[in-house]
Amino acid sequence: MAALRSRKVVELFYDVISPYSWVAFEVLCRYQTRWNIDLQLRPFFIGGVFKETGNKPPALLAAKYTYAQHDLRRLADFYKIPVKMPPMERLMRRENVNSNRLLTAVTLDCPEHLENLSRELWMRVMARDQDITEPASLETAATAAGIPSDTTPQLLSRIRDDDVKAALKDTTNQALAYGAFGAPTIVAHIEGTPVMIWGSDRFPLLAHLLGERWEGPLREMAKY
Amino acid sequence: MATPIRKSVELFYDVVSPYSWLAFEVMCRYQQKWNIDLKLRPFFLSGIMQGAGFHQPGPSKASYMGKDLKRQTDMYKVPFKMPRNPAEVILIKGSLNAGRFLTAVDMNCDQYLEELTRQLFLRVYYRDEDITEPASLMSAAAKAGIPEDLAKQLLSTIKDQAVKDRLRQTTQAALDHGAFGSPTIVAHVDGKPQMFFGSDRMELMAHMLGEKWYGPLPELAKAKM
Repeated sequence: MAALRSRKVVELFYDVISPYSWVAFEVLCRYQTRWNIDLQLRPFFIGGVFKETGNKPPALLAAKYTYAQHDLRRLADFYKIPVKMPPMERLMRRENVNSNRLLTAVTLDCPEHLENLSRELWMRVMARDQDITEPASLETAATAAGIPSDTTPQLLSRIRDDDVKAALKDTTNQALAYGAFGAPTIVAHIEGTPVMIWGSDRFPLLAHLLGERWEGPLREMAKY
Repeated sequence: MATPIRKSVELFYDVVSPYSWLAFEVMCRYQQKWNIDLKLRPFFLSGIMQGAGFHQPGPSKASYMGKDLKRQTDMYKVPFKMPRNPAEVILIKGSLNAGRFLTAVDMNCDQYLEELTRQLFLRVYYRDEDITEPASLMSAAAKAGIPEDLAKQLLSTIKDQAVKDRLRQTTQAALDHGAFGSPTIVAHVDGKPQMFFGSDRMELMAHMLGEKWYGPLPELAKAKM
């Protein structure tokens, strides 16, 4: 009989404009049924992280952007996630923050929709090269994610509310306090100590730290 | 029954790059497990940075990399220790002489290339020792089993045009594959070169090579303290 052990908290700080955040998100969603973890989704604002740390978006280096296009194509196949590097114009849009604010509003008001809406926003911007900044786009995403259409106008209006903007800033500052400089930022709470891990390529290490086993990409659990 | 042709995997590396040591040791272990022909390609990271551009990591990223290297090398059983002044090691002292010495060995007696590479990594990233002075390179060569006369002769060639050109060509070859840092691994899969950056694409590379990933394989570790 398995001993009762309290679940270890694993926070995932992510931005939907970050393709590698989608990889980390899907992997952790698959593993939350395998590992004894409590996955906590923390949508944050990567623009704020870059601004505070002075770290540059990797896409600004042409060779890195080109490499990431190939890398993501291979990772898409390996993990069975339809992720594609978006065109630069989409990556760099300041209005991308609207989707972060929407996710923050969902975290505050109806967190049961956070996972589905995050996934739907990534499907739009990464799989289908669709907009995630305009109200109409966000309304379509919310409906596709299963949020009742009679609540979406109110939810969308929350993007402009001060408490939502403050909550997004607060989550971003929490990530910065853990030492974040990019996305995704994973924080595993191991015996009371937060361990910050950057990127979507440290899962075997994360497994090792959690006392769990890495079983690979688990493509059979793909939602696609 | 026909023997399957070994797939060529090139490892472009600079001994001043800590993640390159990790990739190097992992590939040395896996060349015993996989049907691959591992080709070591010492290059010049400074040349890569000039060719592709470079974003210097800020303090929080640099701090993270130190912790990450410790955790990764612990897991992989590579005896890594960060030098007291990594910025000086990488950006100021650099690796030009070391890169040329490795190139000379590659050109003349490549059977020593793997062990010389290892001894240079151990100098800088285990014992925090110099790799720029002739005496340092001779010491690494001795530990790599290179006979003293041969080592002295190769050392005398490191300013020769042929050696400089070869290091430049190797660096350019990596740039032509899209490299922007070290390590850069190029696996030749179905006639197509697949470039991987870093030491953390091994499981993906295994998948593309049709091989099995066994994790760190510490029992095959060769780096001795």
